[in-house]
Amino acid sequence: MINTLFKLSWVFLKIGTFTFGGGIVIIPMIENEVVTNYEWLTKAEFIDAVTLGQITPGPVIISATFIGYKVCGILGAIIATASVILPSFIMICLATEAIKKFRENKILANFLRGARVAVIGMVFDAGVSIGRSSLVDLKTVLIAAASIICLFKYKTNPIWVLLGAGMVGLVWGG
Amino acid sequence: MEKQKLKEQAERLYLQGLHAFAGSANPADTESMKLAAGLWQQALELYRKAGDKDRAKELKKSLAVLYKKEYLKSDKSKEKQGVILGKFKDWFMFLKIGCFGFGGPMAVFTLLEDELVREKKILTNKDFLEGAVLGDVLPGPVTMDIVTYTGYKLKKWRGALISTVVFILPSFVLMIILAMLYDKYSLTPKIAGILQCLGAAVTGLILSVALKLTKTEMKDYRELCILIWAFASSLIFKLDIVLIVGLCGLVGIVIYHDEPKKL
Repeated sequence: MINTLFKLSWVFLKIGTFTFGGGIVIIPMIENEVVTNYEWLTKAEFIDAVTLGQITPGPVIISATFIGYKVCGILGAIIATASVILPSFIMICLATEAIKKFRENKILANFLRGARVAVIGMVFDAGVSIGRSSLVDLKTVLIAAASIICLFKYKTNPIWVLLGAGMVGLVWGG
Repeated sequence: MEKQKLKEQAERLYLQGLHAFAGSANPADTESMKLAAGLWQQALELYRKAGDKDRAKELKKSLAVLYKKEYLKSDKSKEKQGVILGKFKDWFMFLKIGCFGFGGPMAVFTLLEDELVREKKILTNKDFLEGAVLGDVLPGPVTMDIVTYTGYKLKKWRGALISTVVFILPSFVLMIILAMLYDKYSLTPKIAGILQCLGAAVTGLILSVALKLTKTEMKDYRELCILIWAFASSLIFKLDIVLIVGLCGLVGIVIYHDEPKKL
């Protein structure tokens, strides 16, 4: 079990270090590691993890807690969460301390610029990949399409979209 | 000669302080105590300047008596009280925000701005923006980064730790509960149906975020190339994420080399 905990921690440390540009971008990374590499969760469970992460308050990163729990109980949950938060925690503290130098470092700025673009590409990939599993019938496709329109075009608050989808599921589900 | 004058002045101050101290027999008379302490403090410095180490030592002892017997609460202990008070009042705000950030980063971001800049005035607008830039540029969720940033600004590493932990705690606890319930109930048809629809919505969410980011981040064809390459590498070649991000970052260093843009 200690071995698993170490692996869990390592994976989430990695995830926590490379997710530039927003909360959602951890999703492709998590899928890559947790579903494909280590097979700790099935694809369906992974999608649920992300979903639950969305409907809870706070950042999506909290999906790590769910995954940690599934892998190794409460201890796993704590370790996964702490590991995924630690890298950005340290980086923010260091950057705040040396904020001037940080913001004027051109190399760093350019690196991050490239990195962020890459991350966007991967988010598309995650969307496609998850879409393959989650869009199984007309109903789900319609929900996804409606979500995209509401969120991208009309900029609704995601919480309403999720509530709406949940209601649809409640009424038409089962 | 100078030193002699300083000594005399110090002596005067000491006597004045003594007068204030002794003159009020009531230890609760903080005003006199403060006065005495202030005078003795000045006398102490003068003695030191005059080089009279013995007198300075004696005076230090007298001052210690004032503080020890709690005739006067020292500034230091007041600071400690401030820390404890500050702890509950300020950090509680993070807990509150952590509980109500439904609906994604934008909601939390707005809450943070309201609380930190407008209500509690912990950060100036400029500071807040700075935190947002840091959070955006560095890995990790923007909202969490702002929380850490604020905590750090308040009380360095300790503050950052407290603010971050307090912020994430409600979500953490809720998630654990949900995870426990998940094992039990996820397979029941009703719940499964709801989860399936939510999953579809989340798919839409992910794609919409990707689209939004494309709109805001893509500035020219170079970036489009990187994007397509990253997308393909991830989907088709299944390269490791670290590899993709790292390579694109290095590419970024090279191709943006001439541009003056800063963070």
